[in-house]
Amino acid sequence: MSVWGLLRALAVLWLLRQALRLVRALVTAAALIAVWPVTTTAAIAAFAAWLRGWPAARLYRAAAWSTPMTGVYLLAVALHAHGWRAVALAPARDWRTASRLAEHGHILHAALLTAPVAVPAGLAVGALAWAGRINAVTAGVAGRSAYAPAAFDARQWRRQVRAARGALAAPGTVPLVTRAGTVPAGPVIRAVGRRWTPVLAIPAASFTRHMVIVGSSGSGKTNLMIRLWAGWYAAAAQATRRGKPRPLLAALDCKGGPDARAKASRTRRVLHGVGARRVGIWPDEATLSLWDIPARELAVLLHQMTEHGDGAAAYYADVSQAVLTMAVCAPGGPPRSAAEFLDRLDPGWLAGAYADARPAELTALRAAGPHLGDIQLRYATLLNRLGPALDGPGTITDADAWYFILEGTREPSVAETQAMAITELIAHAATSGNAEPRAMLLAADDYSAVSRRVPLSNLYERGRSLGLGVMVSAQSWQGLGSDDDERYRIAATADGGLWLMNTPYPEPLVQLAGTRRVLETAHKLIGATWGDEGTSRIQHAWTADPDLIRQLATGQACYIHRGTATYVQIARPRPSPLPLPAARTPARTVIIPPARTSASGNGHHGAPTVPLPPVGLDDVLGPGAAP
Amino acid sequence: MSPFTALHLPARPDLTDEQVRAAWRAIAARTHPDRPDGGDPAAYAAAAAAYAQLRTPWGRSEALADLTATTDIPAPQPTAPAPARALWRAVAVLPARIRHGRPLRLAVRAVIAAAVAVTALTVIPGTASAPAIVAGSALWWLLTARGDLAPPPGR
Repeated sequence: MSVWGLLRALAVLWLLRQALRLVRALVTAAALIAVWPVTTTAAIAAFAAWLRGWPAARLYRAAAWSTPMTGVYLLAVALHAHGWRAVALAPARDWRTASRLAEHGHILHAALLTAPVAVPAGLAVGALAWAGRINAVTAGVAGRSAYAPAAFDARQWRRQVRAARGALAAPGTVPLVTRAGTVPAGPVIRAVGRRWTPVLAIPAASFTRHMVIVGSSGSGKTNLMIRLWAGWYAAAAQATRRGKPRPLLAALDCKGGPDARAKASRTRRVLHGVGARRVGIWPDEATLSLWDIPARELAVLLHQMTEHGDGAAAYYADVSQAVLTMAVCAPGGPPRSAAEFLDRLDPGWLAGAYADARPAELTALRAAGPHLGDIQLRYATLLNRLGPALDGPGTITDADAWYFILEGTREPSVAETQAMAITELIAHAATSGNAEPRAMLLAADDYSAVSRRVPLSNLYERGRSLGLGVMVSAQSWQGLGSDDDERYRIAATADGGLWLMNTPYPEPLVQLAGTRRVLETAHKLIGATWGDEGTSRIQHAWTADPDLIRQLATGQACYIHRGTATYVQIARPRPSPLPLPAARTPARTVIIPPARTSASGNGHHGAPTVPLPPVGLDDVLGPGAAP
Repeated sequence: MSPFTALHLPARPDLTDEQVRAAWRAIAARTHPDRPDGGDPAAYAAAAAAYAQLRTPWGRSEALADLTATTDIPAPQPTAPAPARALWRAVAVLPARIRHGRPLRLAVRAVIAAAVAVTALTVIPGTASAPAIVAGSALWWLLTARGDLAPPPGR
């Protein structure tokens, strides 16, 4: 073939290709015009989705919810027409009528006539078109520049956030618990790897497993935690009406400080709104008794509460443990108060208690005798620092919810010991065979402040073994544990889900969501512009984008669960303003006396001093009021 | 008589120490036995007892709990309401849910749905599309109205 012939063949091929394109475009345009009611609805739907950042799934849902209208339409046709053929042809007949009306300018008439079929069909077509557009831009096969996918994603994110924030304004969108017993967290901004729903709702069963929340200060972690606590409580209370155990929430605020009081007060208000009757705030308003723990466990706990060294100190630790065991497990029963316990660390008391003991015990008692004074001094100091709030009365199960304030920032060593004791009390409540079974959730906020002696992984595994739901929060990946092994142990076992809020180093945590396969397209450059040729290949991308997580605004979170990531705008926890139904039978009164004011500066705020009711008119209105 | 009633306070969880103290002072000033008219010793005693109970958040929590308790301790009894009663309760709280929600938006949506329905019935009467549009408008209103209602009690 000559060169001229080759050029002519190429020109013919090009013309043929262009002609085919033109024909395809004309046929498509004719089809779109022919079904103008559907086309119009689809165009409006796709435009609205683009403008509001809606996913295609939202349009599909709208299309599905519109089908009852079509059903009524067909039913109405069937009542008037005879035979299925007339029913099947009714949409075409109305379309023809509507087209004639539109030609004569009766647009409203035409639109109303075709709406029952055009609306669901148009929404579905619009959803298809919008999904195709999203896929094309994301894969890099649409858009005017190489930057188009990134610009499209950033723009859609902004719109999705705006739509999610708008949804928060509706009071009924995000209640604390749904009728089905799930716990809504907030409107979904974006869902990756999972089906999109307007609101992310966590099944109550997820709370019986373990959750981890990581977010820096000011990221909205407190709101999220209070919402999850209240939602879990409300869901468990609903289950109680079906015969399940009553809920018991134990929240440990491990940083303490004045903010903790405000947070505790807010938590109590929200919990009251979902039916929690007694919310104890420890140590300010309620006390617990360390001495409720069974004797053997109490002896071990008391031993662990003091610090021990290595080498020669190990000998004294053994002596101390032996003495503690003898004092606590004495024949007359365990001590009931700190004073009684300290009284027992006395040679005379022990000799009397073990007067009828075996020779080996008497020998041990004699050997420990010279150290008793030191041991008593040490424990007197320890119990004094711990304060009166662990010296009873009161038990964990007396309340519906507890908010424990530990001064982990101001008095870390005291807070650590208190955390050990409280954890042990909770474990005792969970395992006690005599008590009423309770559905329990143990939540620890900023546990790293008190985790030096009881690592978070220990608390975590303890909770698992006891069947408690455990929820822990930290300000960063580093706050989850002392080394990467421990951090991964905690994060990788969070089968209830992982909440990531704004945090500067999310990479180790986003790995747990894994990757997803995406299409990546490379374009051939002709000079400085794109050509129409290129290649596409499947690549792996993070399911939870670490850069997006670094940029999350206050109140936004990424929920990672089973390889999916859901970005949520967390709703501020507000219980229903409607009052709960009045009691039909009065509850049995369970009294938890307020904590006694500490006179020894025990490392926490003492109970607020409350004046007694005034007895004279002068006391009420001031001097001179009484006549 | 509940301590809230004795102090003429609403039984709400968000009462503050100051509100309780102010209520107590007002009643004490009116009923104290040291007043020239002898006051009202019984009312004063009731208010003093109520103040002693409600002066701390914990005390209010206890008192409120006793008012709102629905189950006794320790034996949990299945108390799931019967479907008919649950439906009746849901209908009964509807006015309060509307009032505490966004009634204006709800009304605007209702007006829009009604306008569409009336337009359909007026413009294309006697066609199959008219009842379908009325049904569609009503469904749209029902589906979107839930967001404008306050959550039911306890949620």
